[in-house]
Amino acid sequence: MPKKHLPFESVSRRDLLKLGLGAGVVGPLALSSRGAKAVNTQAHIVIVGAGAGGLSMANRLTNSLQGAKITIIDTREKHYYQPGWTLVASGVWNQDKTVTDIVDWLPKSVNWVKGHVAEYDPDNNRVLLEDGQAVSYDQLIVASGLQLRYDLIQGMDVDLIGQGKGVGSVYASMDASAKTNEEIKRWISKGGGTGLFNLPPTALKCAGAPIKMTFTTLHRLEDTGRREQFNVEFMTPSGGLFSVPFYNDFIKQRFSEQGVTRNDLWTLKAIDADAKKATYSVKGGEDQVKDYDFIHVVPPMTAGAALENSPLAFQPNENFKGWMKVDRETLQNPDYFNVWGIGDVMGMPSNKTAASVKMQAKVLEENFLASLQGKPLTAKHNGYTSCPMITAIGKAMLVEFGWDSKLLPSFSFIDPKKESWTVWVMKERMLRPAYYAMLEGKI
Amino acid sequence: MTFSGILTVVWYSALPWLWLISVMLVAFLVPQLLARMKSYSFTSKGGMGSKYIPPLVVLLAFFLVPLQTQSSLAYVNTWVDWMNLIGVSIGLGFYAWLVFHPICFMRNSK
Repeated sequence: MPKKHLPFESVSRRDLLKLGLGAGVVGPLALSSRGAKAVNTQAHIVIVGAGAGGLSMANRLTNSLQGAKITIIDTREKHYYQPGWTLVASGVWNQDKTVTDIVDWLPKSVNWVKGHVAEYDPDNNRVLLEDGQAVSYDQLIVASGLQLRYDLIQGMDVDLIGQGKGVGSVYASMDASAKTNEEIKRWISKGGGTGLFNLPPTALKCAGAPIKMTFTTLHRLEDTGRREQFNVEFMTPSGGLFSVPFYNDFIKQRFSEQGVTRNDLWTLKAIDADAKKATYSVKGGEDQVKDYDFIHVVPPMTAGAALENSPLAFQPNENFKGWMKVDRETLQNPDYFNVWGIGDVMGMPSNKTAASVKMQAKVLEENFLASLQGKPLTAKHNGYTSCPMITAIGKAMLVEFGWDSKLLPSFSFIDPKKESWTVWVMKERMLRPAYYAMLEGKI
Repeated sequence: MTFSGILTVVWYSALPWLWLISVMLVAFLVPQLLARMKSYSFTSKGGMGSKYIPPLVVLLAFFLVPLQTQSSLAYVNTWVDWMNLIGVSIGLGFYAWLVFHPICFMRNSK
């Protein structure tokens, strides 16, 4: 059962400020804005995308620059706390906890252009919008996120989610997450059947989410006391479950203990939602068709056509082709020094999480300011990413790592290799506040 | 993390619980103020309530706090988990003492 709303939970930040509540806390925060360290510049800075990366940078640069004109480009009116969607789809959170208005996070001085970039033209320092408008810049920050390519799975449509046809996907939207929860409940209430859980053949954001969805669903199935009536299978296009060897082995072991059948090198190719059949291409073998009662679809993900077809993308002969080309440590485009990247759009191993954005924003701000002042770029991104790996509803492991899968624990007292109630509480209670502080550019 | 960053995280963490924090603050302040008007101090003699309710709260919290977080005592696993749970339970027990000790004092002094 989703938890009932608590008072104030869905009240916007603006409303609370109007009420004057917490003035004692908010008051000191104002002291930190636009401090003495602000850099003077007349540059026009364009940020593409008002997601986690774009909003963080808009707030950070507003505070650290004096005289700059900052423009952010995005059509969306709402900002979603996407790390909460696994909790919504698992029946732990009400979906309303994950939505806020973008306007609440944008500094007033930032110019918001409601458009969608159709073309990057870095040779002429401009981006072209779908409505034909050209926006020129001195500095460009690409924070456009990624595109969910459900269209690459034949027969798949996000509108199928929640239609009683057993199709769910935590990635599609806030509503889809809630509907995924309904589909899982329907499957459980049937008293048996097959659930198929998938990984995509591409890089993906929040790479732990498909695994978390499997674990929370297993928890719910075990709670029925009739776990043996349910068949759970997990499909992996690469044969791997997680990029860090320890966690890969841990999840494999746990899947084995919890009776999950793994089908390695299987890629979801097509869905027949009416017949509840999924077709998989199998590496080195013939296509396989599976009947299901519930399927968790994770779509292939790409950087989006505008970026992929631009000079800013990695080329076909390079690693991470189609994703944005940046120096993975400085976050600067190596071909256009006035172009920078942050977030999911960048071509990097892992690093498509909100936790990565938190680290990247700090590095990007420092290097961006250094660049404006003609100084060398000294801040280096260490590849930090984090995933509180939920292994059941009520416990989790704090997975934090950087380049080469090196573990980078933030808290010396939390064992990153042990399941913990404390980590669950962090995920359920603390990470959303930390995320909002990140959007404000405070952490 | 900067001080301002910590305050921001604390603020957003407290937001859903402002109503409860307010209720708890009132439940703490009212008996304290009323009892102090009758020369109450922390060293004053309490009563049965302040003797038995706080340990009961500690015991209940031990089981109910994990449930309140949609978890269970079975998932309290690491030493950090145990320290946190024990700390929260004792904290709630102490809070119960702060509320019930002055109430018992006033009842005794009638």
